[in-house]
Amino acid sequence: MSALAVAPADRHAELWTMNVRRDDRAEFERELAPHLARAYATAMRLTRNPADAEDLVQDAALLAYRGFKTYERGTNFGAWFLRILMNSFLSARRKHRAEDHAVALDDVPNAYIQRRAHELVTAAPEAALTSGDVVRGVIAKLETEQVEAAIDALPDEFRAVATLYFLQDLPYKEIAELLRIPVGTVRSRLHRGRALLQRRLWEIAMDEGLVPAAGKRP
Amino acid sequence: MNKRAKGCAETLKHLDDYLDRELSPKEIAEVEAHLAECSDCHDEFSVERELLDCVREKLRHLRVPGDLMKRIAARIAEE
Repeated sequence: MSALAVAPADRHAELWTMNVRRDDRAEFERELAPHLARAYATAMRLTRNPADAEDLVQDAALLAYRGFKTYERGTNFGAWFLRILMNSFLSARRKHRAEDHAVALDDVPNAYIQRRAHELVTAAPEAALTSGDVVRGVIAKLETEQVEAAIDALPDEFRAVATLYFLQDLPYKEIAELLRIPVGTVRSRLHRGRALLQRRLWEIAMDEGLVPAAGKRP
Repeated sequence: MNKRAKGCAETLKHLDDYLDRELSPKEIAEVEAHLAECSDCHDEFSVERELLDCVREKLRHLRVPGDLMKRIAARIAEE
């Protein structure tokens, strides 16, 4: 067969491949779009840096596109993409292992904010407030940036677990699978991380004057 | 948070797991039985849930760079 005779068939195959790739790309982007904001928010809390967060999401998106043929249509694309994002994050973190360091932490009890609020209302009974009133007063005034700052202040291990818990609303078991750690470790890190988060939020609330005035120590 | 009826301290230990729906049905029943008869613990659990919901809601206030999808599409197109 001459080269001239083969050329049209090759061209046809090439065009067909290009069309398939374009269709795949369009489908992939359609699937990704609704999950992008939460993926970026998750990446922001994991990396604490807009440039790193964007790199993480872009790298994960590229990996996901390359593996798109393995994605089972009709299943949860968001969960599938989150797994890829977390794998990318863990790989990148492993490369920078030297930056990890053990953090010595004080024991912080659970329901930390309520405990502090209770101390305040006990010290100022004339205010006739309950600890619930004080906590609700703080909740009403907290800004998004203050909550983000509080979670960003958590040590890495606690922040990763807390991010998946608060942003992705996952049960302990799924958080454990994504981070490749035992469920018991997720539980202890989450309980501890939540207590540390509350302590930081309380500090912010006190510093910024968010605690209801009547709840302040006389 | 102060010393209250017997069972309060035990119930408070389950606070996080209860709010995270991580207790067994038996443990849930025990916690809820206590909450039904102890208004202080009931209030504490309610306030704690409100606090967690507040954190969750604030963190989900999503702000994604406007052209991120465009940049991703450009990288994919280079593949």
